[in-house]
Amino acid sequence: MPRSLGEVLHFFLPEAEGQSPAPRFPARSPAHTIVGVPIGDSDVVRAAFVWNLAVELSRAGACATVLAPAGEDTSSLWPDPGRGPMGSELVLTFAEGLADLARAALDLAHTRAAESPAGPGLVLVRLPPAWLSKAADASALLARVLLFSSPAARDLLETYALVKRVVSCAPISTIGITIHGVRSIGEARRAFSRLAAASERHLFRSLVSYGLIVDDLHVYRSILNRHAVGLAHPQAAASRSIGEVAQLLLGDLGETSRG
Amino acid sequence: MAEFQLGGALSGAELRERVRARMAEFGGALRVLAENLLGADAAIDWVAVDAQGQVALVLLGLPGQELELIATGIAQRAWVGARLKDWLQLAPNLGLRPEAKIRLLLLGAAFDGTARQAASALGDAVELWTYRCLRDGGAGVDIFLERIPPGAHRSSLRSQAPPAASTFRSDLSDAKLGLSPGERAEFEGG
Repeated sequence: MPRSLGEVLHFFLPEAEGQSPAPRFPARSPAHTIVGVPIGDSDVVRAAFVWNLAVELSRAGACATVLAPAGEDTSSLWPDPGRGPMGSELVLTFAEGLADLARAALDLAHTRAAESPAGPGLVLVRLPPAWLSKAADASALLARVLLFSSPAARDLLETYALVKRVVSCAPISTIGITIHGVRSIGEARRAFSRLAAASERHLFRSLVSYGLIVDDLHVYRSILNRHAVGLAHPQAAASRSIGEVAQLLLGDLGETSRG
Repeated sequence: MAEFQLGGALSGAELRERVRARMAEFGGALRVLAENLLGADAAIDWVAVDAQGQVALVLLGLPGQELELIATGIAQRAWVGARLKDWLQLAPNLGLRPEAKIRLLLLGAAFDGTARQAASALGDAVELWTYRCLRDGGAGVDIFLERIPPGAHRSSLRSQAPPAASTFRSDLSDAKLGLSPGERAEFEGG
């Protein structure tokens, strides 16, 4: 004998697949957003972009953390771990593959969210490209991926190859592109368009533009001096463009979380 | 491996079947509660609940009727919103959270700039998704679902009705970048 209307509702509604019990809501606060950034060994330029981006995100009011696997190239890629300018943070972790890195990223995303639940937060995770071939357990790292590409044909091709690899590992990931090393907006637009067109034509995937980083001597000085370009030269073209990348990221995250 | 190409066509019933099979791609671990449910003077294609207890309405639009789809979606969302507490009373085990937002997932062949701006003005619970038919070289035609990124219909720069979802974004201009000819010359010639 049915005891409540809920017990007879299945007569009127199709059976839910699997008939699993109602999901419990997460007790913890939502984790900070994880953004995976493929950065090759000794790729000091992209590492500098990520670190400077974290500083700009922090300056914009977000909690920004960079997570990178500890390795032989650590000292050449990153400044000293710990708190950096504007509250940004660099955390190194011992990881032997993307599965380890994903666990560390999730822990960090939850921990930092609990520490600063009010504001937006991101964990930018360096992904060694060689690890992407074994990315079965790394969906947390590949849900959002940010790639940096220069407008050079060879670099665009390599970036496209990375897009393809990410898509094969994580078919529904959101892939963002920042064009760096450009001297004009038009140059960045053309480079992005070439990449996006190839991706749509061959992979059936659209790409999300995250602006550009202008070719600016201040970026390279920043790499050498380990100074955040946005703080040392706030009016420089590179600072403005990295700041816009940060704003675009935060804008999209805000929309996603509100949705 | 089959060679996929864009193209092909599906009947309405076939399209519904393909979308139903790909419901997981909408994210949030959607669990379908009802299909073709009569709502506000029209049928709601799918009513689902996600892992967070949010109700999700999925509406499939006809090509060329995307603005009508958005209007229908608003009406259906309001219709469902007025009944959520009743549904929870009827079926407390469904995992619904009546205080949660109602996700509105609108699926169409394409959304032009006007449709994107309209969706943007409705708030953040509206998700625009596109489907494209893929032909696998043989007789099979499948679909490919893709969400229009929320940022693609948000700022003034992004609302310029891009023909495709991939749209370059920057509000900077060459003048704003403030590069002097001397600075540019530093990088000329290699």
